[in-house]
Order: sequence, then C-alpha cells, then structure tokens
Amino acid sequence: MTDDPNGMTRRQLIRHSAWFGAAVALTVAGGEVISHVAGSAHAKETTSPTLRFAQISDTHIGFNGPANPNVADTFTQAIGQVNRLGYTPDFVIHTGDLTHLATPAQFDQVKQMMSELKTPHVFTVPGEHDSTDDAGQKYRQAFGAGTRGDGWYSFDIAGVHLIGLVNTLNMNKLGHLGSDQLEFVEKDVAGLSSDTPIIVFSHIPLFAMYPDWGWGTDDAAQALSYLKRFSSVTCLNGHVHQLFSKTEGNVTFHSGTTTAYPLPAPGQGPAPKPLTLPAGKLQDALGIREVSYTKGQQALALKERTLT
Amino acid sequence: MTITELATRVALSASLALSGVVHAYLYVDGYRDIPTVGPAFLLQGSAFCALAVLILSGGPAWLRLAAAIGAAGSLLAFGLSRTGGLFGFIETGWQPAPYAVLTVIAEAVTVLLVVATALSRRPRAALPTELSR
Repeated sequence: MTDDPNGMTRRQLIRHSAWFGAAVALTVAGGEVISHVAGSAHAKETTSPTLRFAQISDTHIGFNGPANPNVADTFTQAIGQVNRLGYTPDFVIHTGDLTHLATPAQFDQVKQMMSELKTPHVFTVPGEHDSTDDAGQKYRQAFGAGTRGDGWYSFDIAGVHLIGLVNTLNMNKLGHLGSDQLEFVEKDVAGLSSDTPIIVFSHIPLFAMYPDWGWGTDDAAQALSYLKRFSSVTCLNGHVHQLFSKTEGNVTFHSGTTTAYPLPAPGQGPAPKPLTLPAGKLQDALGIREVSYTKGQQALALKERTLT
Repeated sequence: MTITELATRVALSASLALSGVVHAYLYVDGYRDIPTVGPAFLLQGSAFCALAVLILSGGPAWLRLAAAIGAAGSLLAFGLSRTGGLFGFIETGWQPAPYAVLTVIAEAVTVLLVVATALSRRPRAALPTELSR
C-alpha cells in the first residue's frame, strides 16, 4: 500500500514491473530470432560466395605528417590483414591515391609492397595524388598495363562485370570522367544482360557526397545512366578516407576508408585536411574492406575491418 | 472496453508489427552489414514486435507512449537518412521500395493513434484507476 492516494500500490508496481520485464524479454527474444534468421541467411550466402575480393584505398605512400608518421607501416599492416582473411580473395582492388606525390620511387615502393598480397590479381585506379604533375603518365607506366585510354578498364569474373574508371584527370574541383571514358562505359555494358551484376571502381565518389570539397564527379550521372537497366550496380570509391554508403535507385555507393590518415566528415571544418587523432586512436580510423557476392543475391556483402 | 478502444488497440498493434517486421526483414536482407544502422534495425524490429504483442495483450498506457516515442524516433531517423545522413548512411527518396513507404505510413499511424487515444482520455486522466492502467 501507499500513503499517497495518487501513488502506486505494491500490486500495481509489481504489475508494471512484470509488463516491463515482458517487454525486455520479448525484445531480447525477438532480437535473437532475427539474428538467428540473419545468421542462417548469411551462412547460406557465405558457404559458396561467387566472388570475394578486398578493397584497399588511399595508402598515400610518401606522406609525412603528424596525422600518420609512418604510412608504409600502416599499409604493411593492411596487406597483412588481407593475407590473414582466412581465404584467398579473387582479387584486391586499390581505389587510388597509392602514392602521395606520384614520384617514381613512391610508385616503385607501392608496387613492391603490393606484390606481398596473396591474391591472383591486383587492380588499381588512380587517385589525384597519383597524377599530380603528368596527367597520370607515371601511374600508367607502373600500373597501366592492359588498360585503355587514360587507364580505365573492365573485366568479368565469376559472372560479375567490373569496371575501373579514372575520374582524377582533367578535374575542375570535382572528379571528371570525360567523353572518351563515357563512350567506353556505354559500349562496354551494351552487350550485357540486365541481370549481370555490375561493380564500378573509382577514386572520387560517383555520387555527390560533398561537392564543396570536390567529393563528387561532375559527369557521373551520364555514366550511371548507362547502368540504369541493370538490377544490381555497386560503386566502390576511396578519396574521402571514411566509410559512407548511399543508395540511389538500383545503385549503391560505398566510400571506403584509408590505410593512411583520416579526413574530417563532410563539412566538419574549412577543408578536408588530414586529422591528427589522439595517440592509439589512428588504427581505429584505418582499415580494409572485404566484399563478397553470391549468385542470386542483389546486394554485395561488405565487411569493414579496422587495422586494430 | 469499448469497441473503439479495442479497434484502436488492434490497429496500433498492427502498425507496430508492420514497422517491426519490415525493419527485421531489411536487417536480414542486407542492412545488417551497415555499421550502426544495421544493429539499429535489429533493435527496432525486435522492440516494435514486442510492443505489438504486449499492447494487443492489454498492456499499460506507458507501452503506448514508448511505441509513440519509438515511432517518432524512427521517422526522425528516416528523415535524417534522406537529408544529412544517419551515422554515415544516406538513402534517396522512397528507396528501398515499397518498404520505406510502408514503414513511414505505419509509424505515422502509430504516432497518430497514440496521440488520438491520449486526447480522447484526457478528461479522465486524473483518475487514479486510469493512471494505473
């Protein structure tokens, strides 16, 4: 009983406690059931993924600053992490800014380090740091074998069509593909059936993530219009040094993180300058991405791994 | 209990269940891979289904209040994911269709039903027996 006539009796308190307990118990039980269903679905997907690869981005070999005094060391850790995935990825994609200043020595160093990756194929697309003074010539000498135009290409693996685009040349603040490359994309996908899964790699996002900082591509809409009829289109990019995802109709965009140093979130600060994190926090902001695709699934499964 | 009260309770339970089931489905379908947003979908799905069952069973008024707060929070999160982004995740328009529009309708109905119920009971709200329901 209670002295306050408007207060709660012990019986009422017990009753409310029981309802609260039931709410918590049902929520936990429901969560367990949903997780179990998701786990079963995931297990079914991962028992035989059609395609598995890893994404590395923005290694900036040659960078020297307080945000990361040893980018070669963190890149080595990222390579080790790819090699310890527990399986051999079908390929590894590096989505640009392999080097910081595009010197021959930096390209040599990156190439040598990437040869340590345990995978049959390594693909790359250039970042703007890889083409600072020569419109990407040194980049193409090091990594351009088998590519077309200024370094773009496509290939098919396990029924998936992959396209590597170059949007870091002829830039005017925003990324730019150019008419030759747009024509390449149009012709490249013309003969594909609409149920072919498409994965597009580029350095700068193909969506308007934050145009004020140049985080977008001015003629990406044209390229994406050629991909509209496909049921599954996934665009993976680097450049922004942070995880970010967006869907637009049939297209899903995923910005990847970096192995070098973090950048601020869009609009946080006057410019996208390297962030110096407190001691011990850097590796939480760096990482690699695992990507798998299972035939019959529309979406790719992404797993982000920090360097810790 | 009047027929109107019973109908309101059933409708509230149905709107919560719809929103919860859709969020659970989207979690299983692939949203689980999205950092922070994925676990939030799991929590929303299980909590809304639990609230649906308990409210249908005649639970106390604070369960309806919790449902309205949860639904309003879900609507706010939906709005953020279409504008400035939610934990680094952004979507466009009514994608994924038709699930986005279904959940928005269900959550708006949830909020409206709770508000309407509260307003209709307001004159009797001071009664001790009513408070304890």
